Amino acid sequence: MFYWNKLGRIFNPKEVKGKYWLNEYAQAPATLIFDDFVRVYFSCRSQKNDRNQFVSYSAYIDLDRNNLFNIVNYAEQPILKLGEKGCFDEFGTYPFSPIRNNKEIWGYYAGWTRCESVPFNTAIGLGISNDNGKTFCKIGDGPILSYSPNEPFIISGPKIRKFGDKFYLFYISGEKWLIVEGKPEMSTKIRLAISDDGLNWKKIDEKLIDEKIDKNESQASPDVFFSQGIYHMFFCYWSPENFRNTKNRRIGYASSTDLISWNRDDKKAGISISEKGFDSEMVAYPHVFELDGKIYMLYLGNEVGRYGFGLAELKGELE
Amino acid sequence: MEWKKLGQIFNPTEHKLPNNCVAFAKSPQAIVFEEFIRIYYCSAEYDKSNKILCHILFVDFDKNFSKILRHCEDEVINLGELGSFDEHGIFPFNVLKENGIIKAYTTGWSRRTSVSVETSVGYAESIDNGISFSKLGKGPIMTACINEPFLVCDSFVFKDGQIYYMYYIFGTKWSEPEDGSVSERVYKIAMATSSDGISWERNGKCIISDKIDENECQALPTVIKIGNRFHMYFCYRNMVGFREDSNKGYRIGYAYSDDLSNWIRDDEKSGINLSKNGWDSQMMCYPNIFKVDQSIYMLYNGNDFGKRGFGIAKLIFK
Repeated sequence: MFYWNKLGRIFNPKEVKGKYWLNEYAQAPATLIFDDFVRVYFSCRSQKNDRNQFVSYSAYIDLDRNNLFNIVNYAEQPILKLGEKGCFDEFGTYPFSPIRNNKEIWGYYAGWTRCESVPFNTAIGLGISNDNGKTFCKIGDGPILSYSPNEPFIISGPKIRKFGDKFYLFYISGEKWLIVEGKPEMSTKIRLAISDDGLNWKKIDEKLIDEKIDKNESQASPDVFFSQGIYHMFFCYWSPENFRNTKNRRIGYASSTDLISWNRDDKKAGISISEKGFDSEMVAYPHVFELDGKIYMLYLGNEVGRYGFGLAELKGELE
Repeated sequence: MEWKKLGQIFNPTEHKLPNNCVAFAKSPQAIVFEEFIRIYYCSAEYDKSNKILCHILFVDFDKNFSKILRHCEDEVINLGELGSFDEHGIFPFNVLKENGIIKAYTTGWSRRTSVSVETSVGYAESIDNGISFSKLGKGPIMTACINEPFLVCDSFVFKDGQIYYMYYIFGTKWSEPEDGSVSERVYKIAMATSSDGISWERNGKCIISDKIDENECQALPTVIKIGNRFHMYFCYRNMVGFREDSNKGYRIGYAYSDDLSNWIRDDEKSGINLSKNGWDSQMMCYPNIFKVDQSIYMLYNGNDFGKRGFGIAKLIFK
């Protein structure tokens, strides 16, 4: 058995001043570990324009490796540019997931476009960094993973991993746009694609995780961590019928020995809301990483990370 | 090549059409049956916001194209559900008959906010001789990829040997006019290959050289093999002004190849041009070439992008 001991909030985007593109929200934390610091990528929202629309960027903070509560550096600019007119990532590059690949750092991200009948659509793009992850250059104007017959829209939430000599991309795909109180709300499911080179992907073309609430349950943030011979997935889920009632987002858990068949057992997740504070209503979008012999989880608090993310440390064995 | 025009054979405004369609019979494409020719076309309904929704209908002709034998009672394929790639229309609709099944390569339309539309290619099959089609899934088989950033559409598929070849187009640019007028698109012809007709390999290369300028828009390729040579017809136009100014509107272009990959453009040899007056005197577009017995025909649209129907020409010299 294991549980997560909450250590507190690491980062509150509201405290950053003077960056129009970092106005609020710090979503989808993902780490890359350096010798002296831990870089945490996250995604934020710009100020709204005159049409009441914002764009989403991805950025990072660097945490002191010896004291993760000490922020030693901030991204000076977004790590990825928005796409050209009409491209899949014209209105946002979020969320973002990095991995070291030889001397480069590769970053997978969801690009956002705005639609007429539904608010948006997304597909997954790839950027490559040659400056230690400060900026990423897109390999083309289009996506590397997009829609297919059984994954018709909202290809998003990439989490890149390498196990053995293969790349695994966990992501979500839209299954249906529901109409809730007159507005379109998405129902998304966790999916997987596998690649030899990180560029050419073969989709498993199946849902990985059974629903718990009902068939319209939305799932996101499939964060996979290998420990003691088992793959552990922490993810978040909610009911789109209550999408605006964000209190309903929770962290779920599943385990697998082959990365394809997963046993869901949310009781094991070992983390839930706090009585008060920034995560009193919601814990969501988990990311698990190992540092200097300890295992940590970063997670979002209330209003899906509007007030930042927190850190928890694993107690017990992830087995 | 030399084509003899047989004239306009179908005007949608003269018929009562299903699915609230009131005008347009765009991109006519034929399937040849023993006793008749089935011609699919894209007709238009105007939705609540007065924007067009294209539906796929058909009309059956006798083998001389002189008599209409039948109209479809309903569209042959449903538009996609909320948020899908083909929610806002299907146009064009390419058909391939194989082993009693009719395979369809659809172009689905989905509206955007910063640009007017995005498109992708879907796949569907019919087991009732093309009266109704079932989609492989809610999503497309071919959509934007790294080097083809948007507007993947206008598939034309045929089989040569054991390989399926698809000629299609992808977008290379959405213009950003400084005067704030609407963004216009530029698209080019490309090729994909497949062993099963569903999973496609492509390389992001434009295979037809430009004639007008780099902003030339090339659309709707159609290919036929005569002897050992492949002949491609397509349509092309200027990026702007093509709706109002006939000189900038769609024309029929031509290219030939002996290996399906390398194409030589030679519009002078197309053997078909605008008429001096009449229904195809301002514009010609959306060609589709097919064989009936030993004859080769070209269906195409005329003025106004086929608002008032399509006509046919017969190849008389090759």
